[in-house]
Amino acid sequence: MKPPSAITSTMPSNPAKLKMIWLQGITCNGNTHSFLNDPALETLLESSEFIHHPLLPCSMNLRQLVKKLPKSDILIFEGAYKADFERAGMRMEELLNTLASKAKHIIAMGSCASFGGIFKEADPEHISGILFDKEKESGPLKEMREKVITLSGCPAHPKWLSFVIEMMRLEKTIAVDEFRRPKELYAYLVHNGCLRNEYFEWKVDCDTFGTKEGCLFYDQGCQGPFTHGSCNKILWNEVSSKTRSGTPCVGCTEPTFPKRELFTTKTYMSIPAEMPLGVPKRSYLALAGAAKSFHIKRLEGKLIDDNA
Amino acid sequence: MITHELIERIEGEAVLDFKTDKSGHVQEASIRFLHFRGMEAILEGRNALDALVIAPRVCGICGHSHLIAAVRMLENLYASAGSAVKVTPKAHALREVTRVCELMQNHIKWLYLVMLHESGKLLGKEPQVALRALYASSQINQMSALFSGQWPHSSYAHPGGVTCDPTHIEVMQALKLLSDVERFIEKDVLGCKTENFEANMDVESLLLMEGDFGTLLRYFERLDLLDLGKSHGRFLVLGEDAHEITPNERSYAHIDFVSEDDSQTFAHGGKTYAKNALYRGKFYETGPLARAISTERSGVSALYQQYGDTALTRITARIDEVVSLIAYVRLLLTSLDFTESSFIPPVSIESISGKGVGVVEAPRGSLIHRATVEKGKIASYSIITPTQWNLGNGTYDSPGIAQKAMLGIESTAKASLIFRTFDVCSVCTTH
Repeated sequence: MKPPSAITSTMPSNPAKLKMIWLQGITCNGNTHSFLNDPALETLLESSEFIHHPLLPCSMNLRQLVKKLPKSDILIFEGAYKADFERAGMRMEELLNTLASKAKHIIAMGSCASFGGIFKEADPEHISGILFDKEKESGPLKEMREKVITLSGCPAHPKWLSFVIEMMRLEKTIAVDEFRRPKELYAYLVHNGCLRNEYFEWKVDCDTFGTKEGCLFYDQGCQGPFTHGSCNKILWNEVSSKTRSGTPCVGCTEPTFPKRELFTTKTYMSIPAEMPLGVPKRSYLALAGAAKSFHIKRLEGKLIDDNA
Repeated sequence: MITHELIERIEGEAVLDFKTDKSGHVQEASIRFLHFRGMEAILEGRNALDALVIAPRVCGICGHSHLIAAVRMLENLYASAGSAVKVTPKAHALREVTRVCELMQNHIKWLYLVMLHESGKLLGKEPQVALRALYASSQINQMSALFSGQWPHSSYAHPGGVTCDPTHIEVMQALKLLSDVERFIEKDVLGCKTENFEANMDVESLLLMEGDFGTLLRYFERLDLLDLGKSHGRFLVLGEDAHEITPNERSYAHIDFVSEDDSQTFAHGGKTYAKNALYRGKFYETGPLARAISTERSGVSALYQQYGDTALTRITARIDEVVSLIAYVRLLLTSLDFTESSFIPPVSIESISGKGVGVVEAPRGSLIHRATVEKGKIASYSIITPTQWNLGNGTYDSPGIAQKAMLGIESTAKASLIFRTFDVCSVCTTH
């Protein structure tokens, strides 16, 4: 059956592919490998192509990229920024700024590119993200802020990236939060969709790792209740998440990453020092007291009890 | 003549400085890694358990190996402080599943994104994006994530076991993925059943193989590189099944003989950020070939007896490792006993002071994490990565492993390809 003529006449038979450049700053390559896990890679590459990518076949190698400094539809930047960090002999200051000014859109891929991340810890004064330096909007691309989308996460989820690329390709507006993170991805908390939510609600803690029961927020340092991210909605590698495997969320999507003492919950008079997002301490205390007074047998025993 | 080649499409970049004679043959080669990130300093002063989050970030492709090295370091620390930690066979097996998953996905990416691409380029045929291979590697990472929560960068291994508490449903999913991956290996990589591959590991049969691995060997043959790339013939495995193997001797290896040499670094007027890793003061090759000889895997050992540590043997060892690991993962998955605990809590890390060392066989070879901890805080942290072993810079008289393998090769382009047979990781090395 032929498609309606109205559609065929407005759709170019062979639309130009979106041209993308993947540039690396100070990085572990974790976002590159995270991206390669995207099962939708084939579909993505039907409508877009890389002028440069550190691992995938592409039209320009690093030397050619630095020599030509080409225009692109999307510049994806992975890793932390430092002005004098070099790629193929060119300082990042010049390389990033030139490529960014010639790009239609820019994506800060991962927490290093977003806020400085782990590598900022080595040289806090000189290392930052491309738009943000921790919470401060003082990075090298601050003049181009409207072009920048932040995809924080260590690493960022491949689907988060393909979502943003697709939105850009379709020229759709991406609603963003204060750190220019897409709301469709970061309005959720890691806590949303966590399989242990019921234990959180009834204030049942998890005594130890390696069990299905209990909430990791009270003792094990889980940052899920105040970390923006859709890890428990858009699952990792299609199947799981940190909290689903019993590992506390380490808050890797936030500008504060990496905090210290990551597997301990800081408490103040035995109350978690950091509250679930938007919950006033006083209300929390009242609620926690009430919730704890319930002794729900089901939540105090094993989830799967062989002897029951 | 002196030439400088920027080597890309490794993990990060490196520069090779070649000295060639009039005909272009390589007389000397030195290796520069130009970046440095200071991971060890980032770890210092932190709670020792934070290493389980920070250390994996050394590397995006073998971060899980860094996690396992860090957790072994912590367990060794507990033991040396007199508070030995118990890990159940189940928790150990789960760590093994996820550890070797990382090896398998790495080797597949190396074959398709690096080797077929770079050797094809020299012969005028650049392959397209290897989508099927990337899909298979994503399935392997999915297998790992069923237990570890995510790949890359999970922190699910802790002193005392693992944080997850899986059921047989995850095992079923993992076995299904493993079968899919095995089909990919047989159909695309080997072009035959794994049994046939393992039973016919002679050069004539290998060169006739229909899969992409056969294509790679044929590319190397056309480039006249198949029987080149020989190095010192000294091998080291420090993680699982620790052995040192030299042309004359085979014995158990011990970490006490490991040292780092910074004479070639910028700190001492050299030209790289990477330190050399040495065993008994000498360069040793680590990685899949060392492991194959150490565990006496029959096919690769026979190839080694006949052809030595050539490109042929080195490439085959990496592919053969994937095949042998499929069987190993299946065995691990089918023998899990879910009645055992996932985690046995150790005493608080804050009560622990002392030294710890953790060694693991990572995709590219032996990875070592050492730390000194005072009352649960990291006082010092030191990492030696596999690429430091294989790509160290020696002197003219005593070249490093990859340096020696490149000597005498007829062009710098071909020497660069030999360099890649070691599966270079710049990001690990410049930690």
